[in-house]
Amino acid sequence: MNTLAAPARSAAPPRPPNRWAHRLPLGLAVLTLFGWLLWSVSARQALLLLVGVGLGWGLAAARFGFTTGWRRLVEDRDPSGVYGQIILLALLAALSMPMLAHFPEVQAALGPPSVSLLVGAFVFGLCMQLADGCGSGTLYKAGLGVPLNMAVLPMFAIGSFLGAAHLNDWLALGALEPVGLVERLGAGGALAATLVALVALAIGVGRWSGQRFSLRRMPGRWVWGAVVLALFAALNLFIAGQSWGVVYGFGLWGAKAATVLGLFDPTANAFWSDPGHAERLHQTLLLDVTSITNIGILAGALWVVPSRPPSERSMNGGQWLIGLAAGFLLGYSSRLAFGCNVGAMVSGISTGSLHGWIWVPVAFLGTLIGVRLRRRFGF
Amino acid sequence: MTNIAWPRWLFWIVVIGFVAWDFAASAPVNLRLEPPIIAAGSGVPTSGGHCARPK
Repeated sequence: MNTLAAPARSAAPPRPPNRWAHRLPLGLAVLTLFGWLLWSVSARQALLLLVGVGLGWGLAAARFGFTTGWRRLVEDRDPSGVYGQIILLALLAALSMPMLAHFPEVQAALGPPSVSLLVGAFVFGLCMQLADGCGSGTLYKAGLGVPLNMAVLPMFAIGSFLGAAHLNDWLALGALEPVGLVERLGAGGALAATLVALVALAIGVGRWSGQRFSLRRMPGRWVWGAVVLALFAALNLFIAGQSWGVVYGFGLWGAKAATVLGLFDPTANAFWSDPGHAERLHQTLLLDVTSITNIGILAGALWVVPSRPPSERSMNGGQWLIGLAAGFLLGYSSRLAFGCNVGAMVSGISTGSLHGWIWVPVAFLGTLIGVRLRRRFGF
Repeated sequence: MTNIAWPRWLFWIVVIGFVAWDFAASAPVNLRLEPPIIAAGSGVPTSGGHCARPK
């Protein structure tokens, strides 16, 4: 069951919220931040803030939950969420792969097939069911004001920071060079191979669930949500030159906090002492691509709150502990897996990275266990 | 005000406070080194951090 369900029923009809009393100040705040970024930081970052707002709005308004989509497939044999994700991947690949081939500045989300990828994807797929949110899901639900996801976000950041700090040790266990389909097959070949694989996946999901792919039978939100997310994710690639990501920003926030608190020396760590990461640690996070889109996603989801207020579901202490621990592991494992559902699956597959195709089945195995643990702990 | 209104306020205060503190504590922005508005077609290689990259 989606935890972002409709407002709780009561005897008296709830008073309709005044949407614009909420949205007007938020809109002004976003426009003010946009203008200030444009003037004082970077025009690119100002544009990426708006891209993030669009992504957050699309995620929250369509309730485009990757975690929920997988859970519905496993528990209810309802494939509509997974079909929505397949539409997103197909549309985004069709937009991204020609861009990658045409513009040498634009980079694919290439992660190495590795032991850490297998471990990380499995743990991530399991924990996202316990924390009721993946990378993007945690962000947009936190923006909506869901208490568990607001609390999970800092745990995610701590885990992501530590996962990055340990990444080189994990890579030493075994890793291959990243494989990029666009480099090997060209844009046309890579897109054809990706679309064939997505069609095969849709056929497999249809056979397993007993519901063949049909746009007419799917709830519209999965279709328009996929279109909105594909357009804004493609804009992210065009403007930033790199695909949509979530987790790097979280890790950067964690690293900054740990460094200031005197708990961490980045110069003694192989990952964070790398010149690029070290530079981002010294400069404002407003100059970091994934940080600014993450902030935008939070704001975009906040815009949706009046029309989709979060439920006030109560949780016991044990469930809180499990949720927070799962949040920490989400962050750690997503760095081992070279991305979450966004960085590895959406961006990896749509830009032709083999690691995205490895991530999906391994994370799904983790989810099969995660949904059972979720029931076991009474979520 | 609902029961979840105050955690939401607290969450946003922490987020905005963290970003503001970070901006104040970080190196000043050098506008002369501003990245291109649009990376695609700019001729400047992308140098941002991404979770899919091992380094």
